[in-house]
Amino acid sequence: MPSFIKAINSQVGRKIMTGITGIGLMLFLIGHIVGNLTIFGAPEAFNIYTKTLEDLGPLLYVIEAGLAFFFLYHTILGVSIWWNRRKARPEGYKKYQTKGGPSHQSLASKSMVYTGIIILVFLVIHIWTFKFGDTEMVKLASGEMARDLRALVIEKFTDPLYAFGYTFVLSLLILHLSHGFWSAFTSLSMKSKEASKKVQMGAYGFAIVIMLMFIFIPLYIYFTGGEGSLISY
Amino acid sequence: MSKDMTIHLKYWKQAGPDVPGHFEEYTLDTVNEHMSFLEMLDVLNEELQLQGKEPVEFDYDCREGICGSCNLVINGQAHGPKAEVACCQLHMRNYKDGDKITIEPPRAAAFPIIKDLVVDRSAFDRIIEVGGYVSVKTGSAQEANALPVEKEKSDEAFEYAACIGCGACVAACPNASASLFTGAKLAHLNKFPQGEVERSNRAVAMVDQMKEEGFGDCSNFAECEAVCPKGISISAIAEMRRDYMKALVS
Amino acid sequence: MKLDSKAPEGPLEEKWRKHKKEMKLVAPNNKRKYEVIVVGTGLAGGAAAASMAELGYNVKSFCIQDSARRAHSIAAQGGINAAKNYPNDGDSIWRLFYDTIKGGDYRSRESNVYRLAEVANEIIDQAVAQGVPFAREYGGLLANRSFGGAQVSRTFYARGQTGQQLLLGAYQAMMRQVNEGGIEYHPRHEMLDVVIIDGQARGIITRDLVSGELKRWEADAVVLATGGYGNVFYLSTNAKNSNVTAAWRAHKKGALFANPCYVQVHPTCIPVSGDYQSKLTLMSESLRNDGRVWVPRKKGDDRHPNDIPDEERFYYLEEKYPSFGNLVPRDVASRNAKIVCDEGLGVGPTGLSVYLDFRDVIKRDGKETVAAKYGNLFDMYENIAGENPYEQPMRIYPAVHYTMGGLWVDYNLMTNIPGLFATGEANFSDHGANRLGASALMQGLSDGYFVLPATIGNYLADVKPGTRYGTDHNAFIEAEKGAQDQIDKLLNVNGKRTIVDFHRTLGKIVWDNIGIARNKEDLEKAIKEIQELREEFWTNVYVPGEKNNYNKYLEFAGRVADFFELAELMARDALEREESCGCHLREEYQSEEGEAIRNDEDFSYVAAWEFKGVNGQLQEELHKENLEFEFVELKQRSYK
Ligand SMILES: Cc1cc2nc3c(=O)[nH]c(=O)nc-3n(C[C@H](O)[C@H](O)[C@H](O)COP(=O)(O)OP(=O)(O)OC[C@H]3O[C@@H](n4cnc5c(N)ncnc54)[C@H](O)[C@@H]3O)c2cc1C
Ligand code: HEM
Ligand code: FES
Repeated sequence: MPSFIKAINSQVGRKIMTGITGIGLMLFLIGHIVGNLTIFGAPEAFNIYTKTLEDLGPLLYVIEAGLAFFFLYHTILGVSIWWNRRKARPEGYKKYQTKGGPSHQSLASKSMVYTGIIILVFLVIHIWTFKFGDTEMVKLASGEMARDLRALVIEKFTDPLYAFGYTFVLSLLILHLSHGFWSAFTSLSMKSKEASKKVQMGAYGFAIVIMLMFIFIPLYIYFTGGEGSLISY
Repeated sequence: MSKDMTIHLKYWKQAGPDVPGHFEEYTLDTVNEHMSFLEMLDVLNEELQLQGKEPVEFDYDCREGICGSCNLVINGQAHGPKAEVACCQLHMRNYKDGDKITIEPPRAAAFPIIKDLVVDRSAFDRIIEVGGYVSVKTGSAQEANALPVEKEKSDEAFEYAACIGCGACVAACPNASASLFTGAKLAHLNKFPQGEVERSNRAVAMVDQMKEEGFGDCSNFAECEAVCPKGISISAIAEMRRDYMKALVS
Repeated sequence: MKLDSKAPEGPLEEKWRKHKKEMKLVAPNNKRKYEVIVVGTGLAGGAAAASMAELGYNVKSFCIQDSARRAHSIAAQGGINAAKNYPNDGDSIWRLFYDTIKGGDYRSRESNVYRLAEVANEIIDQAVAQGVPFAREYGGLLANRSFGGAQVSRTFYARGQTGQQLLLGAYQAMMRQVNEGGIEYHPRHEMLDVVIIDGQARGIITRDLVSGELKRWEADAVVLATGGYGNVFYLSTNAKNSNVTAAWRAHKKGALFANPCYVQVHPTCIPVSGDYQSKLTLMSESLRNDGRVWVPRKKGDDRHPNDIPDEERFYYLEEKYPSFGNLVPRDVASRNAKIVCDEGLGVGPTGLSVYLDFRDVIKRDGKETVAAKYGNLFDMYENIAGENPYEQPMRIYPAVHYTMGGLWVDYNLMTNIPGLFATGEANFSDHGANRLGASALMQGLSDGYFVLPATIGNYLADVKPGTRYGTDHNAFIEAEKGAQDQIDKLLNVNGKRTIVDFHRTLGKIVWDNIGIARNKEDLEKAIKEIQELREEFWTNVYVPGEKNNYNKYLEFAGRVADFFELAELMARDALEREESCGCHLREEYQSEEGEAIRNDEDFSYVAAWEFKGVNGQLQEELHKENLEFEFVELKQRSYK
C-alpha cells in the first residue's frame, strides 16, 4: 500500500484530487449563488445573509481557509498538469487535430487552464471589492448593525465596467464547468458509457444554469439602474 | 477500374534522437485507391531510392492491424482519419486526388525518435514489466475449468486485452499520457479471479511506472479512445483509478 | 550422416513420460551458471524464454521488432487445439494425435506428434491461469469450436485474436522475468549467425537494428524460435519481418534443413489488387461454411457477378467434390482455385480471384443472422477491398500461409548441432506435409512451455557449468566478420534495382513454380531462374543508407539474400519428392480426377538437407530420416 502522500502525488491521485477539489468548488458555487440571489428577496435578506456569514466568527475563517485551500490546490494541480505537457511532449506536432467521435476535446476542455486562471484573477478582485470594500453600516430591523453590502453591490453593478467585467468572467464559467463537471466524475472513476453521456448532458445543464444565475445579477442591476422591481426596497 | 491519384506528401525526417528534424515533401502521382497507407509509403520509398535519395523509415510488421508496430500520425491524427483502424489498414480510397498529407511520428518524451517516423516505445514494455502479468510459473496452473469466470466479465476483459500496444493513445493525447494503455492492461487482468491476488500491487506499480517513464497526466480528453485502433474505452482508465484507490485502503 | 530421431522406445502413450523420467536434471544452484540464448519471442520463443528463466537459467532473449509482443504469432486468428474433451464429443489425446498425423499426410514423426497432443491440455491450463480471455459459455466454463480437419470441437479461441491473446500471455510472463533479472531482453536485434565452437553451438552474432552495431553473445545453448519462411514468396500472410535468416545462417553453419518444399497455402485470402501489394490478408476459413465458391463458366465474362444467372456459374468445388463441397481441406480448395484461374475463368481486375458468394445464405437466413456470424470479417473485407460483401460476392484467392519445413530437429528439438535447438514454425517437427488449423499455436506453446525447458536441461546437464570461451574466441571473431562482410558487400553493390523489386520478382518465380502445384519442368526452370536472378541481385541491387544506423532496407537486403538460396533448395526438395503429399502436389503424381497420389514405399522420409556451399548454384546433400509408423495405419486421403 502506497503512503497517502505518494498516492495523492501519483498520476491517478492528482487527477482524483482535481476532481474532488473541482466538485468542492462547484458546491461552493452553488452555495454562493443561492446566497447571492437573496438580493432579490425581502429588503433585508441580503444583508442578513452576509451578516450571518460574518457572525460565524472563527468558523468563517475555517471555512474560508478551507475554500482557499481548495482553490489553491485545484489551481496548483490544474496548472501543473497543464505545465507537465511540455515536459511530456517537448516537441509538438506541426499539425494536430482531434479525431472526434468519443473524444472530449473541445474549446471548453482545451481552455480549462485559461478559464481557470481568469477566474482566479477575478476572484482576487472580487474579494478585494466586496470583502474588503468600504460600506456604510445599516441598522437591521432586529436592531443590529450590519455592513450594507447590498448597497455596495448595487453601486458597483451600476458601473458598466464592473457589470460587464463580471458578466464576461462569469460567462467563462460555462466553459470551465461544461467540461469540468463531466471531467470531475470521470476522474472519480465514473465508468459506464450511459452514465458518462448523462453526466455530460448534466454538465451542460449545470454550466448554463449556474452561469445564467451568476450573470443575471450584474446585468439586471445594471440595466435597471439598480431600481428594478425584483430588488425590493 | 481505379485511376491513379496525385498525393502531396510532407513527412518528417530526423536522423536520430538528439538531432533536429525537418519535413520533406514529395508528390506521388501513382497512388491507387486500393493501396494501404503503408503501401503508398512503400511506393514513395521505391521512387526515392531510384532517385538515389534516402527512403523514409517507418515501423510496421503485420500490416493487419494487430501487431501494433505502425503508429503514424497522419494529418495530426494518430493512425489517420478512420476510427478503429490502424494506419496499416487505412486505405487510400479514404483520400482524394490532390490531397495533401502530413506525416509525423508520435511525439512524446517517453517515445524518443530513433529515426524519421520510428520511435522507441520500450517504455510500454517497462510498464508491463513492473506488474502487467499474473505471476504464475509454467506448470503451476490448475485445471483450466476449475475456476469458472462469468462470461460477461471475461468478454469485458477481452475488450481491454485487445490493446495492441501501438501507442496511438500517447501520440494523440494532448498531455502524452499513457493512461489508456496502462488502464487497459489493469482492467484486463483485474477482471479475472486469477488476477485478483496481485490486483493492488499491480495497479500501484504500473501507475507509478507511467510517471517514471515521463508520460503526462490524464486530463480526461478521451482523445485516446477516439484514436485507439481497437476502440478501447476510457472506462479502462476508470478501472485503473478504482484499483489504485482500492489499493490505498486495502 | 545418420539421422537419429532419438525418439524413446516403448508404447506411444509412455514415450514422453518415460523420457521425462530418464532425462538428466540440472541442480537448482547450477542453473544460474548456465546461459541460454533464445532468438525469437513468438509463442515458441516467448514461452521458452519465460519458462527457462523461471527455472533459474540466465536467458538472453532477442527479437527483431521493438517489443517481444509484436512477434508474428500475434496475428494468428482462429484458435488453438487441445483434446480437453470438454464438449464430451468423443475427443481424446489419441484422436488429436491421429488427426494431426493424418492431416500431415503421414509425413511426420509419431512420437513428436503424440507428445504434442499430450502436452496440449496443459497449455490451456497455463494460458487460463495467465488471464488469457478465452471464449466462455454462459456457465463460465471454456467454450470450444470446430475447425478444419477434425470431427470434434476442440479449438479454444479468443474471438478472432487467439494468437494475440496467447502471445500476450507469454510476453507478460517474459516481462515478469525481465523484471526479476532472469531474462536479459534485447528487442530490435537481429541474429546474423550462430557461433560454433568444438562442434557445439556456443553463441550468436546479432546486429543492433538501431545503432547497426554487430555484437557477440556467448551461451551454453542457443534456441532458434524464429518463425517460418513464407515470405520467400514475397506475398504471404506473414508479417513483413518474418524471414528465414536465423534458420538459414544456422543451416549454412551445418544445421540440416528439413522438408523445405512443404508450404501451406490458405484458400481464403483477399486477392492481390496491384503491383504495390505488400502482403496478403487472411479471411477466416469459417467463411466457407456458408459462402459458395464459384467462377463464371464463360471465359472473360465481365458482367457484374450479380447479373450472372445460376446456370452460367461454375460452382466448381460443389461439382467436383459433392460430399465435402465448399468444405474440402485447405490444399484441395487452394489447388482448385488455381486451376480455374489458370483456365482463364478467374475474376477481378487481375483474373486471379474467385467468388465467395453469400447471396444464398443471406436469402435463407437473413442479413442479420449473417452479420452476427461474420460481421467483423465482412467489415474487414470491405475496408480492404472496398466492396460490400452483403451486396456482391467477395473475391478470394489462395495465399502462402505457413511453412511446415524448417530446421531438422530430433525428439528433444535439438538440431544436428549439439546445443542448437529449434522450435515453433522454425523447425520441421510436427506437421508433416500439411498443418491442420489451430495446431501451430499448440506446437509453439507446447514446445516452449513444456518440452524445451526439460530437454535443454537434459543437454546442459552434460555441459560443464561455467564453461566460457570468451567472445574473443576466433569462432566469434570469424562469425562477426562474416556478417560484417555480407553487410558491406550488400551496401557496395550500388546497383539499379531495389530490394523490393528483386524480392517481388523472386516471389513470383517461387509462387508460379513452387506454389500450389509443381511439376518437374517448372521446378527445373525455376532453379535456373532463381540462380540467374540471384546472380543479378549480387551485382545489381541497390541498398540505400548506412550500416551504422537504423536501416530497414539493409535488414531486408540480408533477408532477401537468404531467401534467394532457400528458394533454390525448396525447388530442389520439391523436385526430389516424386509424389504428392499434403500441400506438396506434383502434377505428375495425381489421379485422373486430380487427386494426390502419395508414394509411401519410396518417400516415407524426412528430407534433411546439408549445406555444402553456393557457387552459382546451391550445393546441398540430401539425408533421409525414415518415418516409421508403428501405431497408425497409412491411408490415402479422399474428399470426394
Ligand atoms: C494470418 C495468420 C493466422 C494464423 N492463424 C493461426 C491459428 O489460428 N492457429 C494456429 O495454430 N496457427 C495459426 N497461424 C500460424 C501461427 O501463427 C504461426 O505458425 C506461429 O505463431 C509461429 O510462432 P513462432 O513462435 O514459431 O514464430 P513467430 O511468432 O513468427 O516469431 C518469430 C520470432 O523470431 C524473431 N526473429 C526472426 N528472425 C530473427 C532473427 N534473425 N533474429 C532475431 N529474431 C528473429 C521475430 O522477431 C519473432 O520474435 C497463423 C498464421 C498466420 C500468418
Ligand atoms: C469556481 C471555481 C472553479 C470551479 C468550480 C472549478 C471546477 C473544476 C472542475 C469540476 C474541474 C474538473 C476536475 C477534473 O477534471 O477532475 C476542473 C478542472 C480544472 N480546473 Fe477548475 N474550477 C474552478 C477554478 C479553477 C481555477 C481557479 C483554476 C486555475 C487555474 C482552475 C483550473 C482548472 C484546470 C486547469 C482544470 C483541468 C485539469 C486537468 O487538465 O486535468 N480551475 N475545474
Ligand atoms: S503493422 Fe501491425 S498493426 Fe499496423
